[in-house]
Amino acid sequence: MIEKSFTITNKLGIHARPAGLLVKTSSRYKSSAFISNEGHEVNAKSIMGVLMLGAAFGSTIHLRLDGEDEQEAMKALEDLIVNRHFDEE
Amino acid sequence: MDNLSTQKEEQVLQGVAASPGIAMGPVVFFGSELVTVEQRTLADSEINREVETFCKAIEKAKTDLQKLVEKTALSIGRESAKIFEVHQLLLEDVLIVDETVKRIREEKKNADQAFLEVMENFEVSLESIEGEYLKARAADIRDVKRRVIRNIQGNAHPRQKKLKEPAIIFAKELTPSDTVNIERNKVLGFAMDFGGRTSHAAIMARSIKVPSVVGLKKIGQLLHTGDFVILDGNSGVLIINPTLKTIDEYKRKFSDYRNIQNKLKHLKGLPARTRDGKDIELSANIEFPDEVKAVKESGADGVGLFRTEYLYLTKSELPTEEEQFNEYKSIVKSLNDQPIIIRTFDLGGDKAPKAISLPPEANPFLGARGIRLYRDEGINLFKTQLRAIVRASAYGKVRIMFPMISCVSEIRYCQQVLNDVKDEFRKQGIPFAEDIPVGAMIEVPSAAVIADIISQECDFLSIGTNDLIQYALAVDRGNEHIAYLYQPYNPSVLRLVKDVIQKGHKNGVWVGICGEMASDPLITMLLIGMGLDEFSVSPVSLLLIKEIIRRVECAECINIVEEVISFGTPDEIVKYLRKVMKNRFQDLYLLF
Repeated sequence: MIEKSFTITNKLGIHARPAGLLVKTSSRYKSSAFISNEGHEVNAKSIMGVLMLGAAFGSTIHLRLDGEDEQEAMKALEDLIVNRHFDEE
Repeated sequence: MDNLSTQKEEQVLQGVAASPGIAMGPVVFFGSELVTVEQRTLADSEINREVETFCKAIEKAKTDLQKLVEKTALSIGRESAKIFEVHQLLLEDVLIVDETVKRIREEKKNADQAFLEVMENFEVSLESIEGEYLKARAADIRDVKRRVIRNIQGNAHPRQKKLKEPAIIFAKELTPSDTVNIERNKVLGFAMDFGGRTSHAAIMARSIKVPSVVGLKKIGQLLHTGDFVILDGNSGVLIINPTLKTIDEYKRKFSDYRNIQNKLKHLKGLPARTRDGKDIELSANIEFPDEVKAVKESGADGVGLFRTEYLYLTKSELPTEEEQFNEYKSIVKSLNDQPIIIRTFDLGGDKAPKAISLPPEANPFLGARGIRLYRDEGINLFKTQLRAIVRASAYGKVRIMFPMISCVSEIRYCQQVLNDVKDEFRKQGIPFAEDIPVGAMIEVPSAAVIADIISQECDFLSIGTNDLIQYALAVDRGNEHIAYLYQPYNPSVLRLVKDVIQKGHKNGVWVGICGEMASDPLITMLLIGMGLDEFSVSPVSLLLIKEIIRRVECAECINIVEEVISFGTPDEIVKYLRKVMKNRFQDLYLLF
């Protein structure tokens, strides 16, 4: 199992579209993926769950991945959140 | 009786301006068909079939959404289509699907009832989350909910809304699929009870350019299908049963607004030159490289402020010289020899980079931000950026600007480091432009006061009015309790701006403004009168500012300055400027 924390840097936070991208990305991998914000943890493969996190600009989210392809999955998610910042501002 | 008398009365309602433009015509109610669901208890033998019905309804909804994605992408645009991709994900969501199936199997509820309950729970929790943007997502949940329930109940298609004649659509709330399904050529405008500027309906209305007012609260109770209304998407007003006088007034406003829009288009290729021949540099502000396209489309003379913080805020590692060089080079090249002012990083304050740990401060805006981070260990970071910018100068017209200058020694320090960088390049034979203009950003009052001395050390000054206002008036611009004190029209602020321009000119340097103030048409004449040489504005306001510049003479602008300087309060200044501008630009009166 691997874990990592990230700060949300796109201005509008994880609203619908970023949530969609996050779910699509984590769903590509076999590993289970859980994401938490302020102690509230949800399945990162569920759009409803991710939306409910209400992760706004500047909040710190925590990713917890477990499975055979956890490394690749973490890499892809990190790229999405940190490098591409959800393809928006 | 009561109804009749109120119906005839004109009523003016204030909402939120969501998409600009003016419309008038009859109202058509657009009830997002309410779904009615009756709860039943299933017999054991029915359960499997009910689960199957549910799964088929979901599959059908997915297929329909796929079509809607394609239709929207074609008719409105890819960005707008993305929201339906989110709807598709909702339909695949394990939380939603599993929970519904569980309710069908374990609680023996009919599929539509089970699904309704699940979705309503999510809707409620989503509405309780802070932030307008996420709250607006509850509309997406409702949209998906209706779609699936219609499928379960076998009402295959939502009725395509046929409008007999052009009308203003009123709805409590339009869901994204409503907006797409309405016949667009007959929609004059949208009026809605709910929603803010960031709701999807508002975003779509703006992209399809339909005037809209949202957040009208409970006007549904006051309106009837067929009522004649006027909708003003510029000011966010809806007028029910307007009098003939009001109708005439708005007919004029309506055609005027069209004329303004049409007239401004012709300005694109024309210079921002006053009638008496003074050329003003009219450039645009950008925050991200992809905005360069909008800058070029707007007909700007260049980029008056390129903020570079994004390079430091979006990644966990610091940007290397090579990365920055490539970024700057591609922007500089795409501007085809138009000038660009690159501002070195203004971090600290509310912008904390991930890769550098800044100690927590009690007053971050009065702490280590901007140039104050360029000393000590910070020099390497500063030098790396300067090297990248100076290298990019070989590919176009680069200007460099330093943020948060508050005294002379700071601008000297920056010039020193810049010269060191250039010396190294000369020795190494690396090409760069020898004469890169260097500017100081004037946003701290102490720098404004000694702008004459600072301008002896550089080639131009650019007034950052957003921060200058906050520092001059001692008002935190993010603090809602004292927001009323954040006054761009405060006489102290305007005098400071005037002084900086004069002091810069005294030493032969040009002076620009790169804050919001430059985009405000109400004070364009005032700023010309003060002698401002460069306006750096947001791309959407560019043509309007150009129009004003092209129609005035310096002398009349100077008269305005003399008047304004004599006033003691922001209110008097605004009142005076409104009167003058409305009078002077009678065809643009809508905008003042």
